Amino acid sequence: MKVLNVYRSEPDETTKKLVEIVSRDRETDSFDLSTANPDYDQLVDKIMDADKTICWW
Amino acid sequence: MAKSLGIFVTNPDNMQHVMGITKAAKAKGSNVKIFFTWTGTKLAKDPQFPELCNIADDVSICLDSYRKMGYDQSDVPEGLTADKMATQTQHGIIIEDYDRYISL
Amino acid sequence: MEYKKACFMIRNKDYALDGMRSALGLAVENMYSYSVLVDTEIDKLDEENIDRLEMLRDMEGEVFSNVQANCDKNGFEPLTIEEIGEKLRDMDVIVPYGIK
Repeated sequence: MKVLNVYRSEPDETTKKLVEIVSRDRETDSFDLSTANPDYDQLVDKIMDADKTICWW
Repeated sequence: MAKSLGIFVTNPDNMQHVMGITKAAKAKGSNVKIFFTWTGTKLAKDPQFPELCNIADDVSICLDSYRKMGYDQSDVPEGLTADKMATQTQHGIIIEDYDRYISL
Repeated sequence: MEYKKACFMIRNKDYALDGMRSALGLAVENMYSYSVLVDTEIDKLDEENIDRLEMLRDMEGEVFSNVQANCDKNGFEPLTIEEIGEKLRDMDVIVPYGIK
């Protein structure tokens, strides 16, 4: 199970805690969607490569 | 064969991301279905929405949400047809029938 | 047939009722569907939304919250943030809903 965590904003303590638990003992990747010009090509590659994508607030 | 992608949109500030991900996924040969709900339906009035409908394979919005955002159901957004103003069943289709999923 | 599990994560009260409605929408589509109100307090549900909550429960769904006032007012099931995280590990689809 590979989990991709995508962040639409800087993760706060609640988000960090949830990510930590959901990601425990699993292969993970992440993507920062809060930058001015996200690399959507890279993001789609990561989405396709992961079993599950969670796009946090 | 490229994996298909379903996008569920609930945030009215994410048109740039919806467009960017859809264009990138289509360039890789993916089938892309998008469903907008609640305040996300405001994006049906975004100037880029008709282009999005053109690029993606299937675009629909939650009619109930659209009404609650103050729009009339006879005001069909450019790029859509009335039958694409639908229900949460569209979200279920994305989850059941598409290889990959992202909410925005 | 294995039914999928979906969880709507809500952190903004303006998105709470619609997030619960979306959860019911997936339950109707034969999924196990849940909502979690995280760090946000909502008003007491009106009759229409109480009915929706009952329908969701009839289909084995539930609404959880880590805010005790939500549980006291609306009968949601209380969970700590750690318990929410553990529940999420079991979900096929996790939907951080709307805005923070």
